[in-house]
Amino acid sequence: MSFSLNEVEATAKKAARGAGYSWGLAEEAGKATRWLCAQGLDGCAALAALLQEPRPETPTCDGVVWSGPGALCSLITGATLSDCAADLANGPIRLVEVAQPQLLLPFAAGAARHLGTVLTLSCDTLTACTDGAGLDLATIPAPPGTSDVTVSIGGAMAEARAIQSRATPDPADWETLTGFAARTYAPATDASRRLGAGAGLSDND
Amino acid sequence: MPAPRPRPVPLRPPAQVMRLSRLGSLHQCRLSFMRVLTRRLAVESWTFSRPVFEIDAHGVGHAVYSATGPDRSYSLVAFAHDLPPEMRSDRVIATAWDATFTLFDGVPDAADIDRLSKNIPLQEAGRVSAREISVSRANRSVRLWEHFVEALAAGHQPDPAKTAAVGYLMRTTAVYGSGKLGAADRETIADRPEMQVPFQAEMLSVYLTRVFVRDLVQHMANARGGDRAATLDPGIAQSLGIGNSTGLGMAPFIVNHPVLFNNWIMAREEAIARVRAVQTATNDEAATFRALLDRSALSVARWHSEHPIQIEKLKALRADMAALTAHAGTADLITNAPWNRLYDWAEAHLGTDAQELVASLILEPYPDLVDGLAPCMADSNTDAFRIDGAIPVATTRAALAASFGWAFDIDWSARENCARAWYVSEEKLEPRLGERFDEPITDYEQPLAPARDAAAAHAALANWQGDTPIATFLLAHPEHRHTIRRAQIGAIAPYGEIHDNTISADVLPIDMLRAKLAFFGATHFDPRSDRWVRICMYAGAPYPEDLSPRTADRWIYPEVE
Repeated sequence: MSFSLNEVEATAKKAARGAGYSWGLAEEAGKATRWLCAQGLDGCAALAALLQEPRPETPTCDGVVWSGPGALCSLITGATLSDCAADLANGPIRLVEVAQPQLLLPFAAGAARHLGTVLTLSCDTLTACTDGAGLDLATIPAPPGTSDVTVSIGGAMAEARAIQSRATPDPADWETLTGFAARTYAPATDASRRLGAGAGLSDND
Repeated sequence: MPAPRPRPVPLRPPAQVMRLSRLGSLHQCRLSFMRVLTRRLAVESWTFSRPVFEIDAHGVGHAVYSATGPDRSYSLVAFAHDLPPEMRSDRVIATAWDATFTLFDGVPDAADIDRLSKNIPLQEAGRVSAREISVSRANRSVRLWEHFVEALAAGHQPDPAKTAAVGYLMRTTAVYGSGKLGAADRETIADRPEMQVPFQAEMLSVYLTRVFVRDLVQHMANARGGDRAATLDPGIAQSLGIGNSTGLGMAPFIVNHPVLFNNWIMAREEAIARVRAVQTATNDEAATFRALLDRSALSVARWHSEHPIQIEKLKALRADMAALTAHAGTADLITNAPWNRLYDWAEAHLGTDAQELVASLILEPYPDLVDGLAPCMADSNTDAFRIDGAIPVATTRAALAASFGWAFDIDWSARENCARAWYVSEEKLEPRLGERFDEPITDYEQPLAPARDAAAAHAALANWQGDTPIATFLLAHPEHRHTIRRAQIGAIAPYGEIHDNTISADVLPIDMLRAKLAFFGATHFDPRSDRWVRICMYAGAPYPEDLSPRTADRWIYPEVE
């Protein structure tokens, strides 16, 4: 099914919240998933996979190497990368063992826009460049589940991917996201039915 | 000697403007989205047609209304249904309606209509595509509808008193846009000139809905009355608006879109400041103000509500209108910064509701100062979302204080200060407001209490070094991330935050609803509870065949006989 990008963003945000992320990180998840879909990448699959990871870690940011006791959460790591964009001026940052590294791309784009420069992300098999607006990356047949990633200033945008205005996620991934999203909904009670929305008067007047 | 430069008047501060009691007293003005739309339709000589009207004698079928501007067409596709009375609910959670609509991007062909006929009548249970911009539905005002059909079928006109008492033949219960149910995202149409100002697609949809409703009631009367049926008097038709029932769902919108809401408020505040800075008015400008004040007083006189809060507000507003009319009758509205003096007089002598009416009304004589601000009301600043982690803790504390300093001393653990919680119900996926201490909802609370969250973030920052980058704090405290984002947005969007407690025991969600609806251009707010309001849209507006630059703007003010 074809979804609007607002639907993708809203569902991704609720899913991340339902999976236990803070509201602020859930907002990041919504924007990041939307951005990936706008680039024609499967943001919903990446987020669905991340939310099913057993326990993705918050990085310890020790200078130019960020790592944790296990695989790093790409949402938290990405958000921190965007927050610390200025630190990239000191040299490349190496992110050790990132889960669902595709989700770093939107945050790198935000950092690139802020710095006014192209950023390059590379892992074992792939290299991506972003100038903030666009992304230079060939379609990924099988995106890595976990990978070390190096982020550095510089690189050349050869050809930016075409921007998409719709997303057609895999139904199983969408179901995963809506399943997590459902955890944010309060079970209905008699009181909420009666009082919550505050109306329910007859419209026959 | 050169003329003295206009003395700049500062914008009213957010601490004054963004109180809920004032937001809940806003009135439409020149910048309201409905008026922006009708002015554009007239100035650009949009043309209108009804390529399809296939509705049977029972009122079942569909119709298409197309509006064509300089660059493209938009079409309202309307489906009319025969709804049993027991299914007629104004709740957003209803499942059947008298009529359902979509605004189509272009002119639909038969295949489009076939696809839409299988989805639009289902509303939330259907799916639409990127070709559709909005989805909406409406129910009849049963009393007035039947009266109209009966009267016209019998060959005479409807009773003006009955018409005035309701004001509309149908009221919408939701108008979905911006990607909902699979429709086109706002981003895909936002760069079109006619869609730049917010909610123009939704306002066009309602404008065309009003034409459809007029045509449908005539069609039904003709079907019943045959040759005897009378044609609806154009004056009565023009007095009709489209009603709207708006519930809680709209209240979170203004909290969830701080940059957008800031831009609405700031555009109006800038307009008010510009007009207050006018040193000398012309006789024509003063006469325009006085004439529209009389018409505005008539509109207020016709405004009815059965809700106790609104009854009290109307009583005060009517008394203030009398005082204002008396004052304006003799006051000098020409020399010595007349509008600034009038506004100051209003602040000193009138209640909040009337102050806001004055603030809106002084804009009327000055299209050249005001109307150009309308495009500034869109939110195109997508970078505002990104947190700048390099900003130090001390700056963040100051930003929090600027928007929420008033909230730091509130005891947020006291029952009355956090009595309510906003949540989304599993059953209907709609926002609701519940009683935190009586219902099991706290675990599901939505982030719609920015003031409480700001006080918490400010307290959490107390022991951090002032020169620490906020990124370090955020890595340790992701639970404050949404609040730090708002604090940074507040620095560029000072009117984006409500300066009141949105979860207190006495919060009135209708104040938030009215603020948004006033920017749409709604009038005659009629709360049905503390969280539900009926309004009227487009009453008095010219129909397409009467739309011209002369009629396109001040229709919002009823003519004084």
